[in-house]
Amino acid sequence: MKRNTVVLFVVLFLLAGFGWAGWANWEYRKQAAARAAAMAAPAELVMAAEGDLPPSIVPLMHKPAPDFTLEDLSGRKVSLANYKGKAVLVNFWATWCGPCKIETPWLVDLRNQYAPQGFEILAVSEDDLDLGDKQKLSEEKQEIAHFAQQMHMPYPVLLDGDAISKPYGGLDSLPTSFFVDRNGNVVAAQVGLTSKDEIEGNIRKALGAVK
Amino acid sequence: MRNAAILVMTIAAIAVQAQFALQDKASGSFEKGPSVVYLFPEQVTVPAGKASTMALHFRIGQGLHINSHTPKDAYLIPTTLSIPAASGVRLDGATYPAGAEFTLPVDPSTKLSVYTGEFVITAQIVAERGNHLVQGALHYQACDNNACMPPKTIPVAIDVIGK
Repeated sequence: MKRNTVVLFVVLFLLAGFGWAGWANWEYRKQAAARAAAMAAPAELVMAAEGDLPPSIVPLMHKPAPDFTLEDLSGRKVSLANYKGKAVLVNFWATWCGPCKIETPWLVDLRNQYAPQGFEILAVSEDDLDLGDKQKLSEEKQEIAHFAQQMHMPYPVLLDGDAISKPYGGLDSLPTSFFVDRNGNVVAAQVGLTSKDEIEGNIRKALGAVK
Repeated sequence: MRNAAILVMTIAAIAVQAQFALQDKASGSFEKGPSVVYLFPEQVTVPAGKASTMALHFRIGQGLHINSHTPKDAYLIPTTLSIPAASGVRLDGATYPAGAEFTLPVDPSTKLSVYTGEFVITAQIVAERGNHLVQGALHYQACDNNACMPPKTIPVAIDVIGK
């Protein structure tokens, strides 16, 4: 009797082990197949459609936008907190970013259109700065200023965006925009070039014009 | 019988542990590959002290492009190859391929000069006698049709033998 019980337990244990091994193998193969499919698909940097944001951006949604203080082109310190009560688009861009250059004229138009309703854009430059080399730093600032002037950017252009990239999800690709409502909460975000209409929709959301 | 049962249970335990290891590997985060990878050569042999060339092969990730060595806009970052000065190998120059003309779907009026797929840079070098593990570097900036990634520098490791 005792021997039979041991044999029974061993058999049951083995069966359970094999069953679980089979399930684990099936899971592994499923994941491997998904991985192979992802490798074969064309590389896409962006998930521009709303609701399809990168995982690093999602935790920022519907939460207070991380505050920051950066210098603008004239050396003035600018904080996001100073804009409480206004809807703000925090736009991360760089002079070397082609898609940023395409969307900038849209941003300029939309800023001019919605500024009377309490809207502002803070354009945070992700261009590298040689902070330890005064001469180079001055040249780099001039280059950014020249670009901003060429693009007729009427809003504050802030420098050294790299210093605040971590709390904003790492900023793996540009342009990346966060739409902050009058209470300082992130109500929408966009990664990559979308469309002027989509940007406008998110500005209206930040202004509280759309729910 | 008892020994047999112990043996079976031990084997089962090992199998179960192996499954855990397999699952850990499978559930690890999916690492994104770099935009550009250096393909070959890993080793070249050239006459010591004489001007030589070596063709360096690179591959760009699918769906991505990088600026050519001569981008059309001064703000864009060119692709450049460098070799450290004190490596026993002097880079006298490099011949870069011509960029392909490319336009973003949303802005057909702006022409870009880019590399896609595989490309080859021919480096003109002079190597000192001996075996030199050269840590070259390729600086580039990659984009897809909608967004750009920050500029990056990848290592180009070549064993250069000067004979």
